[in-house]
Amino acid sequence: MAIYYFTNAGEPCTPFEETGEDLMKKGLAIKATVPDGIEAWRLSYDTAAKAVVVYADGQDEAGALTQQQTDVAAQKVTDDAKDIADREA
Amino acid sequence: MANLSSYLGGQSDPRKEGLPLFGLWGQESGGNHNTNFRIFDSGFKNVGSPWGGATGTTSNYRYGIMGDASHAYSMSDHGTDFNSNHTTESYTSYTNYCKSVYQIDQYPHAFYYTASRNGHCSWQSYHQITSSFEYTVGWTKLNMVLPEGNRPRRMFCNRRNSMREKSGNNSCASIDHYDYTSHLLETTNDYATGTGYNEKTKTLVMIHSGGEGDSAAKTIHIFKSGKNLMTCKKIKEFFDELTSVEYFTDSWALPNNKNWCVVVGNNDWVGFGAKTGNTKKYCAFDCSVKGVGQNLTGASRRYLDWQDFAGSVTTSYSAENGNQYYTRFNTTWDGKWGMIFSSYYYYGPGINAFAMSLENPRKFISINQTKSAYPNPYVAWGRTGFHGGDSDNTDSTSWQTYSFSFDPTDSDHTVDTTVYMGSSSGEATVPDSNSHVGGSYTNKTGSCSLTESYTQLTGGFNSTCYPVLIGLNWWGAYGTADQSYGGQ
Repeated sequence: MAIYYFTNAGEPCTPFEETGEDLMKKGLAIKATVPDGIEAWRLSYDTAAKAVVVYADGQDEAGALTQQQTDVAAQKVTDDAKDIADREA
Repeated sequence: MANLSSYLGGQSDPRKEGLPLFGLWGQESGGNHNTNFRIFDSGFKNVGSPWGGATGTTSNYRYGIMGDASHAYSMSDHGTDFNSNHTTESYTSYTNYCKSVYQIDQYPHAFYYTASRNGHCSWQSYHQITSSFEYTVGWTKLNMVLPEGNRPRRMFCNRRNSMREKSGNNSCASIDHYDYTSHLLETTNDYATGTGYNEKTKTLVMIHSGGEGDSAAKTIHIFKSGKNLMTCKKIKEFFDELTSVEYFTDSWALPNNKNWCVVVGNNDWVGFGAKTGNTKKYCAFDCSVKGVGQNLTGASRRYLDWQDFAGSVTTSYSAENGNQYYTRFNTTWDGKWGMIFSSYYYYGPGINAFAMSLENPRKFISINQTKSAYPNPYVAWGRTGFHGGDSDNTDSTSWQTYSFSFDPTDSDHTVDTTVYMGSSSGEATVPDSNSHVGGSYTNKTGSCSLTESYTQLTGGFNSTCYPVLIGLNWWGAYGTADQSYGGQ
């Protein structure tokens, strides 16, 4: 496990203690423990649940990228369907 | 201060533009119809000209009147990529970078399109893109620190021991070539891998490396001239009137030297920075005249020590993955602040940047935005700021952008840096309190995470729409009817 600092919006901010603790003092960061070996883009902090969220949890980086491609492709299908529905409405 | 205005006898500098404009290209998710392109000033007011398009019997043909990529045989060279999320592209997938953070830097041309201030935008052909200037040797461009309102209208490139003048983002003939070897005091390292110029001080600073790859050996030359490079008819004139030449040697390790940026400050401190892979670092060096030719060590000129990027990093590309990913440089409209920047995530989303005072490059912080999908480039905005970085779906919401600006009077590296930011509501940007909106960051180690700002603009289409932020070639002549008045 490692320490990571998130913004108050729950986005990855910094892994560096000096920078993170400075931001904490200014009320600009949240400190949390994150799993080792996870790329930062997969990390976020749920400010309501006060918990770290790992995108595609349980998968390696390649698996997470594949998952993101799948999610985006699904979004594209949804977008296109909505476009057609909006035009025909 | 001697600048082009002085040479013009007090007349307005013809290079000077009004406050920055930008374009916003919106359309439905497939990229085939309901295309909408608008030009806005820094106050988000529409200043372009209306245009009309005509389509054929199928909506799969985009509007030929725009001269865009629909000219190609496949009719969709870039046509269905405007909603690209930048997750799957390799560096050979040329068609997907329209919204990449790599799209535009301080130079007025962009990588994948050309757009006028009147609202005419056309995508470049990607068929010969690997032979284009920007894709292959764009990293050789000089990083320019210029007077207020100026973007580099002349483009000088530096490779090996030669400077060449080019005419823009193309592979056409050079206008001028000059081999400056005879002016070098130390020639062991003969690969120019980063060059910066300051017009106010007429100072040219070059990094020469042992190679363009991972060679750590560095020779840094500092040239001061009595002649402004930007007013020279031939590059040789700058070197003919040198008043001082100094150098120092050092060892700066990076996997690829094409990423180096050189920011020559107005106070003779020079910022050197680069991003390669997940490593991004910056350091300022005292490049003031120490005595002609004196070879001081790099360490003796250094401000403190190299600073690693203090924000969040993840896997991202730089020049070793493809020349087009080289680390870039941009400045604010007033020339008071600059940033050395690159992508946060793989192929183009997010930003990892060092922002520095151009008055005093010892004053710097990290700028951080961690998007991993639906990017847009960042462009100069307002007097002392930038915005961009977001192309999320504007269906049922307005267009959002990440805007941030600096204090143009603040160049003291011993005090924290104030960054002004926006938010999702006017009540937060002009709060019912005396609080500063944004943050204050410790010099060198501080990291500013950008927040999104909502605008009153539609994305351009009433249903699914991922707008493209477009950099423009000309913002309008300052102080004339051509300019959109920004106030002061």
